Amino acid sequence: MSQRAAKLIFWVGTLSSLALFLGMTWDTHRSFAALTHADRLDANVVAGKRAFEKYNCNDCHTILGFGAYYAPDLTRAYKRLGEDAIRLRIASPEKVLAGSYRKMPQQHVKPEEIDRLVDFLRWVSDIDNHDWPPQDSATRWKAATRRLIGGAAMSPGAALVAQENCLSCHALGDAGEHRGPRFEYIATRRDAAWITRYLADPEAMTPGAVMPAFGTLSESQRRSVAEFITSLADRSTP
Amino acid sequence: MNFKTQRVAYPYFVVALLLFALQLVMGLYIAFNYFYTVPQEVVNVFPFSTARAMHTNLLVLWLLLGFMGATYYTVPEETQSELAWPRVAYAQLILLTGTGVAALVGFFFGWTQGRPLLEIPTTLDVLVVIGALMFLANVAVTIFRARRFTAVQGTLLAGLVFLAAMYLFGMPFYENLAIDWYYWWWVIHLWVEGAWELVTAALMAFMMIQLTGVERKVVEKWLYVELGLFLFTGLAGTGHHYYWIAAPRYWLWVGGIFSALEPLPIAFMLIDTWRSMRHSSRPQPRLTWVYVIGMAVLHFVGAGLFGFAHTLPQINYYTHGSQVTVSHGHLAFFGAYVLLNLSFFYFAIPRLKGFPEGRYDERGGHWGFWLLSSGVVGMSLAMAVAGVLQTYLERVQGQPYIVAQSPIRFWMMIVFLHGFLVLGGALVVIKHLLTLRPAPAPGR
Repeated sequence: MSQRAAKLIFWVGTLSSLALFLGMTWDTHRSFAALTHADRLDANVVAGKRAFEKYNCNDCHTILGFGAYYAPDLTRAYKRLGEDAIRLRIASPEKVLAGSYRKMPQQHVKPEEIDRLVDFLRWVSDIDNHDWPPQDSATRWKAATRRLIGGAAMSPGAALVAQENCLSCHALGDAGEHRGPRFEYIATRRDAAWITRYLADPEAMTPGAVMPAFGTLSESQRRSVAEFITSLADRSTP
Repeated sequence: MNFKTQRVAYPYFVVALLLFALQLVMGLYIAFNYFYTVPQEVVNVFPFSTARAMHTNLLVLWLLLGFMGATYYTVPEETQSELAWPRVAYAQLILLTGTGVAALVGFFFGWTQGRPLLEIPTTLDVLVVIGALMFLANVAVTIFRARRFTAVQGTLLAGLVFLAAMYLFGMPFYENLAIDWYYWWWVIHLWVEGAWELVTAALMAFMMIQLTGVERKVVEKWLYVELGLFLFTGLAGTGHHYYWIAAPRYWLWVGGIFSALEPLPIAFMLIDTWRSMRHSSRPQPRLTWVYVIGMAVLHFVGAGLFGFAHTLPQINYYTHGSQVTVSHGHLAFFGAYVLLNLSFFYFAIPRLKGFPEGRYDERGGHWGFWLLSSGVVGMSLAMAVAGVLQTYLERVQGQPYIVAQSPIRFWMMIVFLHGFLVLGGALVVIKHLLTLRPAPAPGR
């Protein structure tokens, strides 16, 4: 190979890749507004991002898969855990994670900062990023739920979930709210015995829990609800 | 050493080596956190996040100080002239080291910009920029005064300007998280797979010319081809970080294809280095080649193969942001940039000390290399096992993060144990380098 050919490889290789990269950068900027729902990116969300950086959250957690890998990914934390569970973890990690083998620091985050962090995580959870991460994929959550719907109408647990209005706080499939954790997530995390006890007295199991006690339900009714929830654990697509 | 001002390189090497040791101590603490439950009271005061910010910033700081020292050694030799402002070079070292120490102390008290690897607060960023400008001006003025332009120093200067320019993209506050990460990668990716590769290629070419006596024209010709391949694959290859950040879908194609080609230039560098060694007409201490070849091999394995393993979007969907990334990151940084710096130190220090023909007493140095390298390789393999486990349990099966982490703790303990090999090896290397002696007279 001649010196000339070598220089040609250098310039053609570098400039073609650079042109492609800059061109796509320009086009990507045109797409960000729609893909991130920039219309919902208000001052509260920005304040939340500042708090997120102030407390160095990203050096333990990942978000969009980036950061440190020491704690759960936060991209869909709002959809997975819900607002109240997020608040509780930030405000009193020492209580929520008392039994956990991994701790989160108590950073004395101010109440208004917690509100903004929730705003930020709510906005992030709606970002359209080709359904990543897989463990929080809405498509996968809902696939299992849809499969269950036929049988669920017959299940006493499902009837109790409707009767007690659980979905005014929790999410299930396409329905429900994001105050508490999504049912499908609870199913992967807890067993029926644990949920049965939790329903009777949430405060006893998680100090500071916001959820009301369902002591009015009988032990067997609470077990039916628990069994309905744990039946959502299987997320394999049929 | 042919020029008096090359001597400014030495204090850069010393500071870099000391920070390297500190980085490894932090690394051990991080690995410890992964398998042992540190009590809440300790976590409140010194959380994982602070230790991690220190670990990564120390890495960047010492590698960059090493590069700067290496540049100050190289430029006089290449221009055949003294450095323009040796005193500015010392002042710059004091400024940057001081800024680094202030940043580390600041992290402990929660003074941070809170973005991984770019935690240094804006105030200190300004000092870093001033230090970088002092450095670039010094190098550029030396080159332009001498009016002797070579491909090696052209590449070196271009790489350093590129490096400094990309740092600026990491400084502002971005309101939109997706745009934030978009430009975060202009710093991180375009550094390690762009600017730093230019610096590496230039320093390697310089060492090869000096060590082997291979004709400059031949080395420079392959340098052009190598750089063309690096930048062709590396620039558009940035796309492999844009798969899941809310960027358009075409990044999956572009990122996948270009980054699949990224091992090629590294393989090319490996072959090139091997060939140069075989054609060498000048005998060198064995340890010099152990380092240079060790670097070329682990650069290829860590950055090339481990990177390729999870760069395709179909795989990356499941491995993204897991311990697989951690494994790749450690072996790639070690193979490419830690060993480059150490290779250069072994090349430059005996010459700075004026040992005849750059020959030195190798005893002890071999132990250091093998302890350090086997430690990092073992550690990266354990992280890779942890990563595959996490990928399967959390990403494929859908177990909650903390449940899936439980079996991983064992493998992170294996990482921790390898950490002692790494730290032990590094201490041997550092001691050997800082107390280097001339080669014993033959027949002794």
